[in-house]
Amino acid sequence: MKRIILLAILLTEFLFASVNVDTTYTTAGTITKKIGGNLVKVTVLGSPKYDPHFIVPKPSLIAKLRSADILIINGAGLELGWLPPLLRAANNAKIQNGAKGFLDISHYVRLINVPKTVSRAFGDVHAQGNPHYSTDPHVILVMAKAITEKLIAIDPLHRSSYSKNLKEFTKEWQDYLQKLDAKMLICKDKKVVQYHQLFNYFLKRYNFEIYGTIEPLPGIAPSSKHTVELIGMMKQNNVKKILQDVYHERKTAPFIAEKTGAKVLVIPHDLGADGSKTLQEFYNKIANRLCQ
Amino acid sequence: MKKMLYLSLFTCGSLLAGEDLDALKEQITQQQLTVQKLKTQLKVLSKRQIQIQQEQKSIQASAPAVNTSASFSQNAYLPDIALILNMSAVSRDVKNSDYENLAIPGFIDSGNAELPFNKDKGFNLNYAEIAMHSVVDPYFAAFAVFHIEPSAIEIDEAYVQTTSLPYALRVKTGKFKSDFGRINSQHQHSWNFESMPIVYDAFFGPEGISDAGIQLQWVAPTDTYLMAGLEAMQGTNDQSFGYGEENNLYIGYVKSSVDVGEYLSIFGGASIAHGQNNENNMKNSTNVYGADLTLRNQLGSYSALVWQSEYLYRNKGMGSRKDKQAGLYSELIYQYNNNYSAGVRYDTITKNDTDLSSYTSIDTNNLNKYTTMLEYKPFPMSRLRLSYAFDRTKIIAGERKDIHEFMISLNIAAGAHGAHNY
Repeated sequence: MKRIILLAILLTEFLFASVNVDTTYTTAGTITKKIGGNLVKVTVLGSPKYDPHFIVPKPSLIAKLRSADILIINGAGLELGWLPPLLRAANNAKIQNGAKGFLDISHYVRLINVPKTVSRAFGDVHAQGNPHYSTDPHVILVMAKAITEKLIAIDPLHRSSYSKNLKEFTKEWQDYLQKLDAKMLICKDKKVVQYHQLFNYFLKRYNFEIYGTIEPLPGIAPSSKHTVELIGMMKQNNVKKILQDVYHERKTAPFIAEKTGAKVLVIPHDLGADGSKTLQEFYNKIANRLCQ
Repeated sequence: MKKMLYLSLFTCGSLLAGEDLDALKEQITQQQLTVQKLKTQLKVLSKRQIQIQQEQKSIQASAPAVNTSASFSQNAYLPDIALILNMSAVSRDVKNSDYENLAIPGFIDSGNAELPFNKDKGFNLNYAEIAMHSVVDPYFAAFAVFHIEPSAIEIDEAYVQTTSLPYALRVKTGKFKSDFGRINSQHQHSWNFESMPIVYDAFFGPEGISDAGIQLQWVAPTDTYLMAGLEAMQGTNDQSFGYGEENNLYIGYVKSSVDVGEYLSIFGGASIAHGQNNENNMKNSTNVYGADLTLRNQLGSYSALVWQSEYLYRNKGMGSRKDKQAGLYSELIYQYNNNYSAGVRYDTITKNDTDLSSYTSIDTNNLNKYTTMLEYKPFPMSRLRLSYAFDRTKIIAGERKDIHEFMISLNIAAGAHGAHNY
C-alpha cells in the first residue's frame, strides 16, 4: 500500500511537474500561460503600472529569478536599466544570457525605428530599434511561436501539448485579428502625437500618422520650448489626438490639449496597465480609445 | 416601299461600317506605336541588365564581398567601457591645511585621515574612473574599475565572477568591495550623499572594506529573498584590521527582503567581520557587527520614499585593553521624479569606549553630523547635486570645531555603464 502511495505521489509529481517561467512584462507572460497551460508556472517581474524602462529592481525579484527554468525578456534594451544586476545576483545558471533557458523575443521581431547613428546626445535611443513591439497585435503570433519553441526546448516531454495549444491559440488570435483589423479600417482621424515613442508599432500597423512626441527626446522630460513648438505644429496640421501612457506625468498632455482643442487618450502600453485582464481586452482598449 | 427601306438601311449600315473601319485602323496604328515604344524600352533595359551583370562580374573580380580586414577582428568582443567623472566646488569654514589634519576622537588621529573626495575648499576633480565589464567565456565574467585621481592610479576593483555554478552559488575573486553591510559595496558615485557615513569613515575609511580576497554567495531556494555570503580577505584596512603578516579577515552576512503589499519593500541584513589588527605591535582580534535596514515605498514610476539605516558595532583589541565603539547613520531620500530628489542624513557615534586621554581638555561627546542634499538629474547618466553638511565630529587644529560645508558636485557616467544594484 505504501509503495502504491509513494508511486502515486511520484507519478503526480512527474505529471504536474511544472516549468517555472519568468517574463519581464505581462503581455509575454499572458501568452506563455496560453501556450503552457497547467504545465507552466508564470511569474511576471515588471508591473505594467510602471515605466518598462525603469522597473524597480527589488531584491524580491532576485528570489523569483533564482528558481526560474526559463526567463523570457522583451529585449532591444528595454530591460537594460534594471534586469542585469538582478540576473547576476540570482546566481541561476539556467537563465543567464546565452543559456538554454534564456529567450529574448526581440530577436524574432523585425524592429522599426532602428537608428543609423547611436549617441546619447539624442536621448535614450535604443541601438537595436524601438523595443515596444508588443503594442502591435500581429506580433503576438510571432511571440507565441518563439515562446512555444522555447518551452519545447526546455520541456520536450510535453511537446504535443505546447504545439496543440499554439495551434488553438493561433486560430483564436487570427479570428480576433480579422475582427480588429476590420474595426480599425473604419477608424477615422489618424493624426496623433504621443508622449514617448511607445505605440509606434500599433500606429504603423494601422496607418496612423505620428506627428511627434511630448518628450523632446526619448527619456527627456518635456521642455516649454518643445511644448510650444509641438502646439504650433499640431494646430498647423490639425492633430486632435494626444496619446498618454499610464506612467508619465499627466500635466503636459492636458495643457497641450487645452491649447489645441485636442483630446488626451490614455493608452495602455502593456497588458494590465489599464486594468485589462486578457490580450483581447488589452488591444480592444487601445483600439477603442484611439478610434473614439 | 419595302425596297426603299432596305436600301436606306443598307447605305446607313455601310456608312457606319466605314466609320468603324477608320477607328480600327487608328487603333492598330496606335498599338503599333506602343509596341515600338515597348521594344525600344526592352532594348534599353536588356542593355542595362547586361551592364549590371558586367559590373557585378568586375566587382567580384577586383574585391571580395566582405571587408577582408574583418577576418581577425575582435571588435564585437570588446568589454563594456564606461567613463565616470566626479568633481565639486566646495565652500567650508576651515582652512585647507587644517582640514587635511582633521581628527575624529577615538577613531582617526590627526594626520591619518584619508580624504580622497572633496578635500579642498574651492574646486576638486575627485576622480576619473574607467569601468569595464565583460563576459569572459561561458563560465566567467570580469569586472574592473580603474580609479584615477589627479596624482594616483589605483585599481578600485578588479574581479572575476562565476556565471554558471549550480545550486545558486557564485564565487567572486580578485580585489573587490565587500558585501558587508549595505553601503560598503557601493561606489562613491552611487552614494546618496557625497561622503561616507561617519561610522564607516571611522571604522574603515572612505573606501570601506575593499581588499583582495574571495567571496562565496548563495541564494536560498525560497519564495522570500534570502542570501548568505562568506568572504575571506587579506585584511589590509588598518583602521580596523591591518595585521600585515598574513591574510586575516573573514566576513559573513545574511540578507533578506520582503514586499509588503504592492508598493513597500523591506530589505535588511546582518553582517560580521572578524579580523586581526596590529595595534601596539601585537596581534589583536577585531570584530565588527553590522545591521542594516532599507524601506522603500514606491509612489509612482519615478517617485519613491527611501529610508535607509545602518548600525555598526566594533570590538577592537588594543593589546591590553579592548575598545568598544559603535555608530549609526539614517537617511531619508525622497525621489520626486526622474529629475529631482532630495534627502537628509543623520550620523552619530553612539559608543566611544576607548582611550581619549589625548583629548583631555576637549569635549568628545555628541559626535554627530547632519547632511542635506538636493539633486537634479537632467538624464540618468548625469547628476548635479547641491549639499550642505553640519559636521560636529571633527577636531581641527586641536579644537573641537563645528564645520559648515556647502558643495555643488557634478557626476557623469558616460558610455556603456551598467545599471546599479538596488
